Amino acid sequence: MTAPLLEVRGLGKRFGGVAAVDGCSFGVQRGTVTGLIGPNGSGKTTLFNLVTGYLRADAGQILLDGRRIARPDPARLYRRGLCRTFQQPRVFPDLTVLENLLIASGHRWPALAGPRARAGDRAAGEALLAEFGLAALAADPAEELSYGQRKLLEFAALLMSAPALVLLDEPTAGVNPTMVRTMERHIRARHATGTTFLVVEHDMGLVMRLCDPVVVMDGGRVIAQGPPGSVQTDPRVLDAYLGG
Amino acid sequence: MRTAAPVAGFVALLAAFPFLVTAPWLMTIALFTLMYAVLASAWNLVGGYAGYPSLGHAAFFGLGAYAEAIWFQHHGIGSGLAPFAVLPLVGLAVAAAGLPVAWIAMRTRSDVFAIVTITLLFVAQTLAYNLRGITHGAQGMAMPVPDFAPATFERPFYYAMLALLVFALLLSWAVLRSRLGLALLAVRADEDKARGVGVPVGTAKLGAFALSVGITGMAGGVWAYYLSFIYPQFAVDPLVTIAMVLMVFLGGRGTLWGPVLGAFVIAPAQQYLAYQYGASQLYLLGYAALFVLVMLVLPRGVLPTLADRWRRRRLRADVGPEVAVEQP
Repeated sequence: MTAPLLEVRGLGKRFGGVAAVDGCSFGVQRGTVTGLIGPNGSGKTTLFNLVTGYLRADAGQILLDGRRIARPDPARLYRRGLCRTFQQPRVFPDLTVLENLLIASGHRWPALAGPRARAGDRAAGEALLAEFGLAALAADPAEELSYGQRKLLEFAALLMSAPALVLLDEPTAGVNPTMVRTMERHIRARHATGTTFLVVEHDMGLVMRLCDPVVVMDGGRVIAQGPPGSVQTDPRVLDAYLGG
Repeated sequence: MRTAAPVAGFVALLAAFPFLVTAPWLMTIALFTLMYAVLASAWNLVGGYAGYPSLGHAAFFGLGAYAEAIWFQHHGIGSGLAPFAVLPLVGLAVAAAGLPVAWIAMRTRSDVFAIVTITLLFVAQTLAYNLRGITHGAQGMAMPVPDFAPATFERPFYYAMLALLVFALLLSWAVLRSRLGLALLAVRADEDKARGVGVPVGTAKLGAFALSVGITGMAGGVWAYYLSFIYPQFAVDPLVTIAMVLMVFLGGRGTLWGPVLGAFVIAPAQQYLAYQYGASQLYLLGYAALFVLVMLVLPRGVLPTLADRWRRRRLRADVGPEVAVEQP
């Protein structure tokens, strides 16, 4: 078995006396849609923040493609192909929908002196907007988008960097059933073209359809992992969710 | 380009102004108005585009003023144009001095950043008072006075400020059209998210700050030469900072022309009141009142409010009145 695309080893993060993530270890294999589930407060979002450099871990290691990341930094990780969405979609409301994609093209600082959109960026952005059904809104400020559309836009913008691994934090929370199916379709389409996903999601139906394997967290550590079918019947998982 | 003609007309009018109006006191007002338009446009790069409300810009204004004065302690001014010729160097030096400051100060945000930068202002003023070997402290520093014809003495300074304004506007325009401008707007909206989509936020902020304080320093250099005598309390003056902020807020943060509009409204009024009421500083009450008024009535500034209104009217015209009302 090759080294996982992303691996965390013994990761820990405390907030005061609370261990939000506590010795958490698991790997995300290349080419999978790995699900990350667990009751509220089990440390999923904190784990995302640690892996993407928004929080500094107190303990443990993060390895991307087998190489240890000593000081995770969101911008550098993005350029290395690791990116994430947020639970509450975060787009730039003053920028147009297309500009929200252009800003995410991941160029290094020398490009700051260049034009807003390089020719290739504009084409890539327009193609993504077409793929996500947002082409008609390209010139509108992103603040005019609905909640679900913002989720789509945030996801689409990440794809400007042709990422290897996308971390999705509750991609379908709070959106209508049609939008859930739309989101699922886009994840599947991108998965089919080689993107790996790590998905935090509370919609168990979606997790069971979409994800394999599924990692279950509780109390900041991994309590079970495996194919969705086996995780679903694992007594430790039932115990975590139903309390005991 | 649709806006090229009005802009050219505006600059031509400003260029012709010294020939239309010759009264020295009016020329002085015009000169200071241009200076504040430069300063407000410079401040806008950091405070408007990037959303970092610097209250320390007067420190860099003073730095430019002292750089100019100190240089010409040791060098002749020739026919009187040498102090203008060295301005690009002054600008580069002040921009370079801004880099380490920005590197530290821009680790903080919003209100904390404002406090850190206003502290910087008072540190700079204290240094200007106390580094007597360099700045002559409270005694002040003299610049050589050029032998320009008395009747048109203001003209060279006026044109220097006009050149700086054109430069500041061209630079702001170029920044807005560049990827730097996009990055700064992203930083203003959500800096952490911007990092998450690979925006080199640190470099963008440093770049904006250096450009901004470089222009500010050049304006300080012209100012020092015009007054020919500078004192710490006027070279590093919190009121200069406050004027910049107020003008940008009035005209419209993050717009190209808002700072110019704000300066063209406030600077002449302030200068006029200063002439009328001398040193009574009554205009400070006016400042405070105007600030409150802008915050209450036009929190986004004149230009964005007008642009919004215009855009809505056009939308209504496009759609027709009966459909324009949002469906519930």
